[in-house]
Amino acid sequence: MDSRQPPAIRGRLLGRRTSRRTLLAGSAAVAAAGTTAAVLGLEYAGSGGGVGPVVAAEAPGKANISLPATIDLRAPIADARTRAAHLLRRAGFGGTAEEIDEFAQLSREEAADRLLDFAGVDNSALEGRLAKAGLVLGDAAGDARGPARLITDMQRRWLMRMAYTARPLEERMTLIWHGLLTSQVSKIGPLRARLMVTQNELFRHMALARYDDLVKAVSKDPAMLIYLDTVESAKEHPNENYARELMELFTMGVGNYTEQDVRESARAFTGWRITPPERPKVDPNTLTPEEKRKLQQEVFANYRPTFVMAQRQHDGGQKAFLGQTGAFNGDDIVDIIMRQPATGRFVTRRLFSELANDSPEPATLDRLVAVWDDSGHDVRAVVRAILTSDEFYSQASYRAFVRSPVEFAVHAVRALEIETDFRFYPRYGPLMEQVLFEPPSVAGWPGGAAWLSSSTFFARLNYVDAFLSAAGRGRATAIPALSRASTPTAAIDRALATLVDDDVSVGARQALYEYASRLPAGEQAAGIAYLVLASPEYQLI
Amino acid sequence: MLSRRDFVRGGVALVTIGSGAQSLLKVAVAFAAQNPADAVPDNGKILVLVQMAGGNDGLNTLVPVGDPTYHAVRKRIGFEDEAVLPLEAGFGLAPQLTGLKGLWDEGRLALVRGVGYPNQNYSHFKSMAIWQAGDPELKLQDGWLGRTLDTMEAEAHDPFQGFNIGGSTPPELRGEKVAVPSVQNPVEYGFQVGGKVGDGSDGRTATLMKLYEQYPASSPYGVLLETTVESAVSSAQALKAAGARYRPAVTYPSTSFGSGLSVLAEAIVADLGMRVGHITLGGFDTHAREVDDHARLMTELDQGLTAFYRDLAAHGKAENALVLTWSEFGRRVEENANEGTDHGAASVMFALGGGVQKGLYGDQPSLARLVDNGNLAFTTDFRRVYATVIERWLGVPSAPLLGKAWEQIPFIRAA
Repeated sequence: MDSRQPPAIRGRLLGRRTSRRTLLAGSAAVAAAGTTAAVLGLEYAGSGGGVGPVVAAEAPGKANISLPATIDLRAPIADARTRAAHLLRRAGFGGTAEEIDEFAQLSREEAADRLLDFAGVDNSALEGRLAKAGLVLGDAAGDARGPARLITDMQRRWLMRMAYTARPLEERMTLIWHGLLTSQVSKIGPLRARLMVTQNELFRHMALARYDDLVKAVSKDPAMLIYLDTVESAKEHPNENYARELMELFTMGVGNYTEQDVRESARAFTGWRITPPERPKVDPNTLTPEEKRKLQQEVFANYRPTFVMAQRQHDGGQKAFLGQTGAFNGDDIVDIIMRQPATGRFVTRRLFSELANDSPEPATLDRLVAVWDDSGHDVRAVVRAILTSDEFYSQASYRAFVRSPVEFAVHAVRALEIETDFRFYPRYGPLMEQVLFEPPSVAGWPGGAAWLSSSTFFARLNYVDAFLSAAGRGRATAIPALSRASTPTAAIDRALATLVDDDVSVGARQALYEYASRLPAGEQAAGIAYLVLASPEYQLI
Repeated sequence: MLSRRDFVRGGVALVTIGSGAQSLLKVAVAFAAQNPADAVPDNGKILVLVQMAGGNDGLNTLVPVGDPTYHAVRKRIGFEDEAVLPLEAGFGLAPQLTGLKGLWDEGRLALVRGVGYPNQNYSHFKSMAIWQAGDPELKLQDGWLGRTLDTMEAEAHDPFQGFNIGGSTPPELRGEKVAVPSVQNPVEYGFQVGGKVGDGSDGRTATLMKLYEQYPASSPYGVLLETTVESAVSSAQALKAAGARYRPAVTYPSTSFGSGLSVLAEAIVADLGMRVGHITLGGFDTHAREVDDHARLMTELDQGLTAFYRDLAAHGKAENALVLTWSEFGRRVEENANEGTDHGAASVMFALGGGVQKGLYGDQPSLARLVDNGNLAFTTDFRRVYATVIERWLGVPSAPLLGKAWEQIPFIRAA
């Protein structure tokens, strides 16, 4: 989505690097020069090109506020434990106190490789836990609980994966691909919802693949073929939906192709189909509506379509695409796109924006593009370069994002070592504005500051409240990581160290101590957990 | 007691808000009336913007009756001439828009035809960004309504000056000064304690407010976090109070669009000081099987907007509220093989309310002279519509907000 680009730079300045006091103090001086934002924007833009320190502007000519004159965005994150916690949050879904301690001992390269080399990591504990959770995946579409329940179970199952996996980077990449190469279950429909799980498995399987291979695979993924109307695209009237989004959102970005390129490449994807469901053995017209519904669910319960080419619907003619001419098919189109310099810039920038910060320095981006080129578009190599870069471990990346609701919910479970099947998430996910398998549009979730509104603020708090108190559904949630502490003060210290890098003001810590000291012993862990999860620091990642 | 915004506006001395014993709660509800001299006074007029997201098919919304080209290119998805609801001069509304047709007959509805901008962008996201910024070059900062709100005088009850129905702040309402609350579900809008609705007076919520007060504004996202909490707390209180002062006079459709409109009506009826409201109806990206999907959407739009107007009228507020619809683009003139339409260009906008001058405005683009391989050539720049609404309706000079003075369109009655 384009809003990630130029406006993001400004959004970050206003949102992240501009203090309220700066705005206030600056308003008089700035009135002459245009808006505050314009001044700040110029300041930032002027720092591009890798020359001089990157600083956030601070309005001149004011005294008596104790703020640093500048924030040096290039300064490294100093503390080893904070660096480890930052890595575990970004490349996974946060760590326990022990994991953070462990990663704090590693070099950048060792830490990155430990996360990247997940293929050999035993994940059987997770698989066992999932098997016992009693959640369905769409296999039991005839289940009396109905398709809506299947969709929430799919979501809960994935959240459990994120929370309990021994391969956090695998799940992080799966979530990144879901947000980028996205599909919405609402378009796939409840009967075929299982196809979203198939797509999800594809993303997990190809988490660190060559990007060319991933894009070709997703182009033939049944959910994607349905989602962007490829299955309906025929020789006579090609449907442009997939071709356009492939270039705009998945590979190159707007401005690097023409409307003519959209039309020509749409022709190359015509005739791409999926195998149909099995024909029922009984004539549906002889059945009652109830029987008919059951039959339909049974037919779709085991429906596992695969990609097929319908030659008669395919336009095999010559296409002129991005300066080349040939009888291209969809795979050829992907190959041509992958050779475009715009694609390398777009994909590396996007990955950097997912993992580090959303306004990379040009020099950082240049290095990533070189890795992209040299590695033959290997996502693993690019991700490794990001996770070992100076900019990843700098102030420019620290707390650079508003946490997504999924990150918000999963990190709490991992860090506090809570046992849950995420039964409260389906109710609050829509209010927090993140429903897995149902991003708001083909551009995925807008992310960034858009996660935070007055509405989602209450939703986050109320999710935590419901989750910790179990909101009338059984006993309150146990919080092992805090219950082990011997005093309320120790529990607060532990929560702050694990969840927000111990990086809060003295006053905030004092307010927590005072509150917890007044609570009955049995309510302290939940009270502390609520406040730390609701705190301003925990809303950022 | 002064709010942050007053300092921003006045450029006065440095005072740290939320320090000491002063709680955010108190600060947030107490806005002093310290406006600079150049703020535009409140004329009491309210704009409700309805986004039809996905690209609404203007040709199947306002149908060119009897145009042979229309029938030739829309053999499967086109409406028969007899099916449309006739307005005037060879145009009729989609058959589902019966409520809006009634409002047309009562003189409450205007349509602007052929709306678009030069060099149409066919990306949903880019084109939405253009409409939201009010600038095809995307050089103007913030949203067109955010900029407008920033110039308006704020009253004591201004947490609702801008008000969005939905989960996140829409880009057109982003501004420098005015924080816009978003409400997805009023029942969930407030602090919950132990699974039950709280009133914010418990010790845990009070401690949480201290955590936000203590968060240094110079820290990452300091401004965003502070304004979000401030706006959430004050608007939740105001909305709760408003609930007691409002009973809908009509039954709204039981869709999220319908219930969202009733929340906007509540804000208007309860005099929360709203100047600009925003709501979205999505699903207009009808690449395939358009007939069913578009009919459902037209029905939802029609029933929602009609209920909204009737409700406001019953409360004596219809003269003060204007509904304006927009969509990022229209659709390709010729249907595709999937009985749908691909992304297109110029489309149609509705204006509804007591202050509307009934009529069809803007020239209808010719179906015979298409541009960009089969798209309608726009006749009316969308910024002319914006300028009209900003200036004639909201009473704010539009040229500074839109970069230049645009010729207005007389679909709003002179005051």
